[in-house]
Amino acid sequence: MKRKGRLRKATPYLFILPWIVGFLVFTLGPLLLSLVMSFFNWSIVSKPSFAGFGNYIEMFTKDPQFYKSLAITLKFAAIFVPLNLIIALALAMLITQPVKGVTVFRTIYYIPAVVSGVAISIIWGWILNGDYGILNYFLSLIGIKGPKWLVDPAWALFAIVLASAWGVGTMMLIFYTDIKNIPIDLYEAASLDGASHVGQFFKITIPIITPTILFNVITSLISALQQLTLVLLLTGGGPLKSTYFYGMFVYNNAFKHHKLGYASANAWVMFIVILILTSIVFKSSSAWVFYETEVKEGKKK
Amino acid sequence: MKKKVFVATALVIAMAASLMGCKASDKQNADGVKSIRFASWDNSKDLEEQQKLVDKFNEAHKDIKVTLEAYGSDFDTKIAAGMGSKDAPDVMYMWNYPAYYEGLEPLDSYIEKEGQTYKDNFYETLWSYNKMGDTIYGIPVGFTTHVLYYNKDIFDAAGVAYPTAEWTFKELADAAKKLTDTSKNITGFGFKRVPDPYDFEMYLWSNGTALSDDKGNLKDYVNSDASVQVLSTFQNMEKEGIAVATDKDGTDEMLAGKIAMYINGSWPISSFNDAKLNYGVVQIPMFKEGSPSVSILSSSGLAMSKDSKNKDAAWEFIKYWTSEDLNKARIQYELPVLKSVVQSESIESDAIKGVFYSMLQQSEGYTPTSFKTQEWSEISDALSTAFERIFNSTVYDDPKTVLDEVAEQ
Repeated sequence: MKRKGRLRKATPYLFILPWIVGFLVFTLGPLLLSLVMSFFNWSIVSKPSFAGFGNYIEMFTKDPQFYKSLAITLKFAAIFVPLNLIIALALAMLITQPVKGVTVFRTIYYIPAVVSGVAISIIWGWILNGDYGILNYFLSLIGIKGPKWLVDPAWALFAIVLASAWGVGTMMLIFYTDIKNIPIDLYEAASLDGASHVGQFFKITIPIITPTILFNVITSLISALQQLTLVLLLTGGGPLKSTYFYGMFVYNNAFKHHKLGYASANAWVMFIVILILTSIVFKSSSAWVFYETEVKEGKKK
Repeated sequence: MKKKVFVATALVIAMAASLMGCKASDKQNADGVKSIRFASWDNSKDLEEQQKLVDKFNEAHKDIKVTLEAYGSDFDTKIAAGMGSKDAPDVMYMWNYPAYYEGLEPLDSYIEKEGQTYKDNFYETLWSYNKMGDTIYGIPVGFTTHVLYYNKDIFDAAGVAYPTAEWTFKELADAAKKLTDTSKNITGFGFKRVPDPYDFEMYLWSNGTALSDDKGNLKDYVNSDASVQVLSTFQNMEKEGIAVATDKDGTDEMLAGKIAMYINGSWPISSFNDAKLNYGVVQIPMFKEGSPSVSILSSSGLAMSKDSKNKDAAWEFIKYWTSEDLNKARIQYELPVLKSVVQSESIESDAIKGVFYSMLQQSEGYTPTSFKTQEWSEISDALSTAFERIFNSTVYDDPKTVLDEVAEQ
């Protein structure tokens, strides 16, 4: 009897066992290992040697590239996140319009999000080519001589922003579903009161979707700070290290220079940077994010 | 309740441990067949060929079973991870000895057993690219030197005589000037905008200097007058508009007929032949008349993991893979490394392939900086950024200033 009871209590754990194993072996394990590794000097091939906080000290005091890469990445995020948000919201507004054939556009705008990063970088490599790229060709039609996007250090970061913003589809879709859920009677009431379309957008649409905006800000902030695929394949960090993103810095330290411990320390510093930035955004959210439930409760009082 | 969670966790850990434990015991096969894992970096087309050759070995050796593992472009990551976890493949392709030699088995004693004639049959220059210090870690499989490729059609159209082995860079520049035709979008010469410093060192050798001294110190070498002269030569051609700095190695531009000449290894030959490009090759031009140019070698060897459980079987396979028969079997896509094979197939008289061997003989006795220092990957990073500053047309930094800076780092 007693044994049976024990078995019954253990049953749920047995059911979730595969996921617990998966979490421990593939997520928590590597995570902890990388934290431990960040306190060692390890060139993979030879035996690791304990370094204490050596890796962290070296990063902050002796490695100018650390600050440069961090600055480039933050600069990228500062341009990319707002730009991406505005484009996604604008597209979402467009595809919610009740126009014939709008589903076709919905699909077209979403396609880039399905395409793999490798394909995107090849496509943009051609588009941005200074001599025979299509972008400079179009610019030449309106009389502008386009820069050598991927050769000129002054333009390369912007080229990466451009290529990244192309994958805006997922965010657009999230906005779209949220906007679709706004009850139509709100707009009807507003237009009866004489509110313009612009007024409706800022007074009704924006306040209602602020939780979604918060979600999109955070996810795009994190993905911007972790950007690697595009720079790795499109510019390789160049020209002249102008797009040597933090992700690239970590990747090269680990797999090119074989400094696994140092790279782990780099990665944990970025984790903390992301943690701080995300919590700032969260803290600020109480000032500009409105939840429906909050408003209702407020009324009851 | 808490106790239950503890039990469950303990169970999970025990299971995970037993899962990991499974791996350790699969090395020894019950029927006495020794299994050898063989890692290759090649992909698709070449792999099929390699699999056939591996199968042939397995048929002839009933007591050894070799499995071909195709790592492709992940080769470095996987080899490094394998060495880290003491689970590296028994036999592997290798070129980057400075990075991996600590995980490799020294092969001198194995070679000694085969005798001096075995060793002498390989080109001497190749051994120095397969060792660290005085210890040999790999048996040469293939190599390429660099040569000057030229597009005969563009030369004929401009009425310029083909390059010769006596050319200096001055003559190359003169020819490039005549060949450049902006109306047709043709430039005389092309070179990489971001050169690999490993490759680029050959130009410094040709001009009597190097990237660094014996211990890998850059100072007074990379910024010597001779080095500055080399980089200025290239930069001036670009500034003059008779050379173009290419994104990649320049093969695309060559194929498209946009450049008339460029310097590269043997890799593009098959794509040039497929595209029916009317091209020729010749020794790299000299910097000073009378002192033949030197080429860097890109070589591949076969190395053995020092953690291999079946070293004798692994050596048996390495010997097979580097034998005369296999050198001949690979002749379509790899330059043979054995003197006997080069002789019997009379490759030295081949108008294309022969040039690579004459560059090989001109290049004896040079050691790349990557073999002299533990910090090559960082140095290489700094150097390629420095070269890029000189060759990037939006910057065009002064060679002397840039090289002085990089030497101080």
